[in-house]
Amino acid sequence: MGRIKTIARRSFLIGSAAIVGGVAFGTYMYKRDVANPLEADLGEGAATFNPFVKIDADAVTLITPRADVGQGAYSIQAHLIAEELDVDLDTVRIEPGPPSPAYYNGVVAVEGMPIAATSETMLARTGRGAANVVGKLMGLQLTGGSTTVPDMYERLREAGAVARETLIAAAAAQTGLEAGTLRTESGAVVLPDGVRLAYTDLAATAAETPVVEEVSLRDPSTWRHLGKPHMRTDMVAKSTGTQDYGIDLRMDGMVHATTRTNPALGGGILGFDASEAEAMRGVQAVLPITGGIAVVADNTWRAFQAAQAVACDWGDTPYIGDTALQFDAVATSFVEDRQDSRFKDEGDVTEALAGADVMEAEYRIPYLAHAPLEPMSVVVKLSDGRLDIWTGTQIPRFVQAGAASVAGLEAEDVYVHVLMSGGSFGRRLEDDYVRQAVEIAMQLPDTPIQMVWQREEDMTHDFPRPLAIARARGLASDSGVQGYDLSIAAPSVAKSSLARLGQPAMGPDVAIVAGAWDQPFAIPNYRVTGYRVPAMVPVSSWRSVGASGNGFLHECFFDEMCHSAGLDPLEERLRLCTHDVSRKVLEAVGEMSNWGSDPGAGRGRGLAFVLSFGVPVAQVVEVMDTGDGIRIDKVFVAADVGRVLDPVNFEAQVTGGVVWGLGHAMNCELTYAGGVAQQDNYHAFEGMRLYQTPQIEVRGLENGTKIQGIGEPGVPPAAPALGNAIFAATGQRIREMPFSKSVDFV
Amino acid sequence: MRGLVCALLIAGTGVSAQTVTREEGMAAWERIFAAASHPRCTNCHVGAQEEPMWEGLSYGTGAVHGMGVKADESRIGAESMPCRACHITAAGRDVASPAAPQIDEAWQLAPVELDWLGTDSATLCAMLRDPDRNDGHDIAGLVEHLESSPFVAWGFAPGPGRSKPPGSVEDMARDVALWGAAGSPCE
Amino acid sequence: MKLTVNGKEHEVDVEDDMPLLWVLRDELGITGPKYGCGIAQCGACTVHVDGIAVRSCQLAAGDLEGEVTTIEGLGTPEAMHAVQAAWVEHQVAQCGYCQSGQIMQAASFLDLNAAPTDDQIDAAMSGNLCRCGSYPRIRAAVKTAARRLQGV
Repeated sequence: MGRIKTIARRSFLIGSAAIVGGVAFGTYMYKRDVANPLEADLGEGAATFNPFVKIDADAVTLITPRADVGQGAYSIQAHLIAEELDVDLDTVRIEPGPPSPAYYNGVVAVEGMPIAATSETMLARTGRGAANVVGKLMGLQLTGGSTTVPDMYERLREAGAVARETLIAAAAAQTGLEAGTLRTESGAVVLPDGVRLAYTDLAATAAETPVVEEVSLRDPSTWRHLGKPHMRTDMVAKSTGTQDYGIDLRMDGMVHATTRTNPALGGGILGFDASEAEAMRGVQAVLPITGGIAVVADNTWRAFQAAQAVACDWGDTPYIGDTALQFDAVATSFVEDRQDSRFKDEGDVTEALAGADVMEAEYRIPYLAHAPLEPMSVVVKLSDGRLDIWTGTQIPRFVQAGAASVAGLEAEDVYVHVLMSGGSFGRRLEDDYVRQAVEIAMQLPDTPIQMVWQREEDMTHDFPRPLAIARARGLASDSGVQGYDLSIAAPSVAKSSLARLGQPAMGPDVAIVAGAWDQPFAIPNYRVTGYRVPAMVPVSSWRSVGASGNGFLHECFFDEMCHSAGLDPLEERLRLCTHDVSRKVLEAVGEMSNWGSDPGAGRGRGLAFVLSFGVPVAQVVEVMDTGDGIRIDKVFVAADVGRVLDPVNFEAQVTGGVVWGLGHAMNCELTYAGGVAQQDNYHAFEGMRLYQTPQIEVRGLENGTKIQGIGEPGVPPAAPALGNAIFAATGQRIREMPFSKSVDFV
Repeated sequence: MRGLVCALLIAGTGVSAQTVTREEGMAAWERIFAAASHPRCTNCHVGAQEEPMWEGLSYGTGAVHGMGVKADESRIGAESMPCRACHITAAGRDVASPAAPQIDEAWQLAPVELDWLGTDSATLCAMLRDPDRNDGHDIAGLVEHLESSPFVAWGFAPGPGRSKPPGSVEDMARDVALWGAAGSPCE
Repeated sequence: MKLTVNGKEHEVDVEDDMPLLWVLRDELGITGPKYGCGIAQCGACTVHVDGIAVRSCQLAAGDLEGEVTTIEGLGTPEAMHAVQAAWVEHQVAQCGYCQSGQIMQAASFLDLNAAPTDDQIDAAMSGNLCRCGSYPRIRAAVKTAARRLQGV
């Protein structure tokens, strides 16, 4: 049965979410069309049907506006369009497109709302609709929150279908044949006699053809690419050294720059002496920038060397600068006037946990750096009132606006060219490094300037995942977990990062409790309270954001309760689970891991479950206590994204998330002394290496009713599953990261 | 025989055989042991584990070399990753921590029989005075090794940001000569 | 100074202590080798010198002896080396930034040790950092490449 959907052009452009009453925004603005940015510089004889497809005599160009930071976003976006447009991806151009409100993200704002993914109440649906309104009104062109697939799943297929049907109409007009007798295949309209009219040859006619406004999407049972393994479009380039990242651009007359700002965050610069640096070979200029200095040279290494040779007089950090004191600030935040949220409050926790047999524990998680392998880098050129910026970024419109404000230009005079990113994990949701480069360009106009940070600059100027403390109380008996009272105190990511983007952050910060308050378990007395720690060093989103740490806090104490009462952690979760899709995920991981069987001497299995970004994920980690340390042997993962569009990349994203979650839990923390991050390179912030990497078995389930993204949800259960496995193997309960403080790993 | 060796040795180091008492020899050995048992030396003087150590170098007790590095049976990493992939063979590069040190010889582990890691003073002493167990060195050979090995030289001048054993190459060579002249006492 | 990269001789005028990585990237425009850490911790800059994997961020230009091969010289999109082909087949790359170095490390490793054990693969590849977590596929691709190179 084909799902036929009639789509008016206007509704296509505004997305498919229904607007429900009660939204605080006027619908008039919301319903207005957003201009197609591809029309701006459309050549003669070229056609564009919507913001995602452009065809001229030379090529079919697909616009994939969500940034590719390694998660395969370009590839899946292109496949979504191609499934309807009938083009072969090795013959088309794939471009990220310009900054434009047309590329707003219609679902990411949901993550900022206290709506459980499992909730289907009117309020929840209203909120999701409002997220679309917010995204569109703001022109929120942002990659993050594992939203690319849910946000683009229909929009891009519709874009492909509209283009296809318009090309068929153009072919019909050109040949005089009935549109109904024509079909499409591999970039061409095929006539009944088999003659093929290439889309590129139809471009001029299509440009004059009214856009077909009513299209139907193909039924998934007829898909040729989606849902099946496919080759990502970037694999050959990335395996042959021919993929250009921001750091790789080379232009005529380009100079190389680096910056050095106060490692004591926010301390600013009181003065500097560049005389030694200025005399060094290849150095063209040492320039002041906000908070530090920039060196411009004819070679990146020379710029690095000279930057180190500048004698800087740094100011003191305005923040609480030492990690022990930072944790003190968190520990003293469990007070009423810092209570930020209590989205979960079932039963009567106060009454249920009044007795003497209540368990209590405190958990801690550290600051963590993003440290993508490509350090922050950007190429800028300011010439005759036009500013060009080439960089890997998740926020092109904010980059544009921020650069415009620094340079005193209108946003329309700032051209942002988005490049492939050498990793991000949330780091490229910031534009600090671009602003620095613009400051350099203003002092050195008419010259392409490539600015690259040294690794040490990158790691000491990150906006880390915030630290947190959880205080957990609970009660379990042989009849089950009776009460769970989890309090989490952390600084607000939303307030910190949105302020840097010039946006207000209203209401409670869901990230403080995400992955903890919204779990599908019917514990009779169940309360999750968030406390907001006053702002300290600036913090930001880190792969899986709040859930990255909260999964550890929620799931390890749940495990403690189960063990205290002799409950099987899997059976107890299944008993309490209120969400069928999640239950099946738990059952699957139990089966995959042979849960309940004897793991053998010295071995232990740990289970954790976290529902984040709408995706329930269960993981079982199996460890061996070797005597020399803990070895992680196997990880079993079951996850449900509703529909797996590319099983190969799905598996890559899940395993990558597991490695990310395990590696940082084992080995990483970011600590500060005097406001200076103490881990300034990978020797002190290792993550996971290959020799520590377990076998990882992944199963993608498709019981969910909504399609979801998988870049992040694989992360949160990994750390708690490891902690629970170590307990099972050794009897040692770890309540602090990195785990390497408590046990050795081999 | 030992007397002859000592006489030769002493000629080269300015130590007079007649002046070296057993007590002085033992004192020399204690200084030798203080240097030889320093992590800068023992981290590469590991035995059959084939895994260099990063013990006591701010990485904590019992820390092994990062990155899961194995020097393999070849002791130079030939079967997996040659040490020289990171430890470049080059002279005169005073590489600061935490980058990989470089010397003018292929980076490698000490021979497997020279397993000093965790060895107590008496055991190491007995090993070092026995050519059958010390890679074939007599006292003169030991002195020459100390004075000529790029590894030893680097160990006492390991570059900015790295801890080093007490004394100097010269001190250690003189102490070995003294110790030898005193009859290589171990207790 | 003169150096030979990917079979082509170049003459550059650089300081004796400029790392090879920056000679390649900024003097010769060969950008396959990547900068990640500058201290031999990540391996993204790995190239071959006379066939042996070396971290080019550590090798001072003045100390270079031998011919340099970068990822561009190992194979091309049209004619990939067996290791590169295995990398594509297994779809190893995510962000891909570390993969030039991973591939160069693997190619040199398999040249020295054509039939490695699993433990040797782990030891050979653990000096190369991948922040995306592509390690399971790196293991698989190294094994595939080893088989191909042996003609199995």
